[in-house]
Amino acid sequence: MRKIFLIVRKDMKRRLRSPVSVICMLLIPLGLTLIVGLVFGRHGEVELSHIKVLLADNDGGMAANFFKQGMKQGKLAELIDVVEVDSAEGLSLMNRGKASALIEIPKGFTSSVLDGKSTQIDLVKNPRESFLPMIVEEITGTMTVMIGGAVRVFHEPIQETRSMLAADRWPTPDELAGLLASAGPRIALVKDYVADTLITLTSRTDEAPAEKPAGTFNFFAYIMPGSILIGLLFISEITMRDILREREAGTLDRIFAGPVRSAHVIAGKVLSAFAITLASCLLLILIGRIAFSIEWGPPLELFALVVGSILMCVGIMAFLFGFIKSERGADAMLPVVIIVICIFGGAMFPYEVMGPAMQKAARFSPAFWVIDGLKLVSIEKAGWGGIWRHLAIVYGIGAITCAAGAARLRVRLTGQK
Amino acid sequence: MIEVRGLAKSFGDVQALSGVDFAVGEGEIFGFLGPNGAGKTTTISIIAGLLGADSGTVRVNGMDIAKDGTRVRQILGVVPQDIALYEELTARENLHFWGGLYGLAGKKLRGETDRVLEIVGLSDRADDPVREYSGGMKRRLNLSAGLIHGPKVILLDEPTLGIDPQARLNILDIIRNGVSGGMTAVYTTHYLEEAEKLCSRIAIIDHGKILAQGTLAELVMLAGEGSVVTVTGAFSSAQVSPLLKGITVEHFGDGSLRMMIPGRSELSGALGRLFSAGIPIEDVSIREPSLEGVFMKLTGRELRD
Ligand SMILES: Nc1ncnc2c1ncn2[C@@H]1O[C@H](COP(=O)(O)OP(=O)(O)OP(=O)(O)O)[C@@H](O)[C@H]1O
Ligand SMILES: [Mg+2]
Repeated sequence: MRKIFLIVRKDMKRRLRSPVSVICMLLIPLGLTLIVGLVFGRHGEVELSHIKVLLADNDGGMAANFFKQGMKQGKLAELIDVVEVDSAEGLSLMNRGKASALIEIPKGFTSSVLDGKSTQIDLVKNPRESFLPMIVEEITGTMTVMIGGAVRVFHEPIQETRSMLAADRWPTPDELAGLLASAGPRIALVKDYVADTLITLTSRTDEAPAEKPAGTFNFFAYIMPGSILIGLLFISEITMRDILREREAGTLDRIFAGPVRSAHVIAGKVLSAFAITLASCLLLILIGRIAFSIEWGPPLELFALVVGSILMCVGIMAFLFGFIKSERGADAMLPVVIIVICIFGGAMFPYEVMGPAMQKAARFSPAFWVIDGLKLVSIEKAGWGGIWRHLAIVYGIGAITCAAGAARLRVRLTGQK
Repeated sequence: MIEVRGLAKSFGDVQALSGVDFAVGEGEIFGFLGPNGAGKTTTISIIAGLLGADSGTVRVNGMDIAKDGTRVRQILGVVPQDIALYEELTARENLHFWGGLYGLAGKKLRGETDRVLEIVGLSDRADDPVREYSGGMKRRLNLSAGLIHGPKVILLDEPTLGIDPQARLNILDIIRNGVSGGMTAVYTTHYLEEAEKLCSRIAIIDHGKILAQGTLAELVMLAGEGSVVTVTGAFSSAQVSPLLKGITVEHFGDGSLRMMIPGRSELSGALGRLFSAGIPIEDVSIREPSLEGVFMKLTGRELRD
């Protein structure tokens, strides 16, 4: 037992010291969730094009206009829908969750900017949405830096033309947009030298209303379980692959030169793959909670399902690595295997959008039972009664693959003698 | 301590070992000398239980490795030819892991770790990750990982490969000290001078066969190797050739002469005849018999790294 523990501890330490490969594998499910969510999303915050932004212009001056035109320009126009409102209306719309963010330009904004005095823009973010308001914040922040910088850089010409501007002739939106576009690169250079920005952006998220409006749901909760499974398969793949790496490095032989049985080594390797994959999975779940606002449902049921799923993934990989002789072999074969498991199980495209024939086929993929179970727990808040079949199947496959994998690895590792 | 009988091993068509026999007594340093591909690593791997032999037996401390593998490996230390360490871990963590596998724990493990780090001179770098080590430092750590559990028998597979002469001497000292502390060592190398300096007995292996084994003196005798004597002076070959009947002359020219002389009495006899004949000799150099000559005699080729 102690030897197994030593092997696991050593592998965990090594992973912590060079975590890059696991982190890359963590990015796959996260990226996938984001992309698939955005492609298939038709509800609520999922439509990234046309983020609804309210803009309350309490100033009405040139700089505010400049700001507004900038927000409506080119690419930004595709991304965000700016709706002008007055302050009170804006706040009430925000309170009803009707937009991703509200931007407030204060009274006297233009004259402060032109005088080179500091001023601020307020950004109110929708608390029920997670990253859309962040996008708006990012854009607004960039705009403020640009306008502030422009004022610094073009201070003199601004002063000269100020009277003219104040008199009557406003620059046309096109002129402004052009100025904004051409100023962009120059501002980027200047940005670093402008130590204190003239315009500060203060953003806040007003208290979330006690209850979510009925009928909204988080599309990401449908996507992420599949992505998590893909992540688990890839992470268990790279952790089990360590057997090949250690053989290559000669450390595996060195272990076997000691008073160690092959069962120790196999148990150690499978357990460390399990532990690393579990840690990654918990991290993914946490990120899902924070970045995609997924409510994961009853924790014990979720944990049981996750543990079973990881047993299954690690078991599958142990079995496959019992046959694979080189890293090149692993590179060629495993991604294909993983993708096939995932596509059939509904990890790539959500089960809900599959055709009926595919839906039937999915039930024969082990991945389906993991993904469906995770969805039941997180979306339907299913308890033990709701997922017992999933648990039985996932643990069953996990036990079989782990046993077969250990047996196969044993043949491989002692076969060389 | 180690008894190897009739060891044979082939990899497909390659006959790596064919009938290797040798025995190593307790407290001995047994040198295993051979060129690339001779079968040194294969022999070591079989003794360490990493490879199965096609035929033959190996006994260590009276135990058959085929039956008592785990118990044999407990008293065996192995220093592999290719450095086998965890690059991400520090030297200390590596040693803790390798020592732990042999059952060391707690204070004893920490103490032994400090001891071997001290021996190989890595104490001050003990907490740096191995990937930041130089090649020579890795070699030294590789060696210390084989020593950590205080093995009764240590198998060293070219432990000085690719390190500078200073560090190499240092490693030889470490092994010598270990052996004086009661360890038995099998030392594989293709550096002749290492085998000469370090080993009490030497086996010369090539193409999977042991060509000769014994102490250096025995090997020299066996190969009929003698001293090489080079004489220079203002003489012509015609002058001296009648004086050298019965002596192997390797090279003969005007003003220089190289000959192989088997023993002391023959040597003084030959030189005496040259002097008494009044041959004008300017310089005489004598090279004592060496492993190099023996090796060339036995294998028909030179040993180079
Ligand atoms: N795993 C293997 N598969 C196939 N052939 C092998 C294997 N290991 C060794 N051999 C062959 O067996 C022979 C002996 O190899 P071995 O490694 O024992 O030589 P060595 O004396 O250690 O040489 P070196 O000084 O280069 O380390 C060589 O011809 C080698 O090609
Ligand atoms: Mg070798």
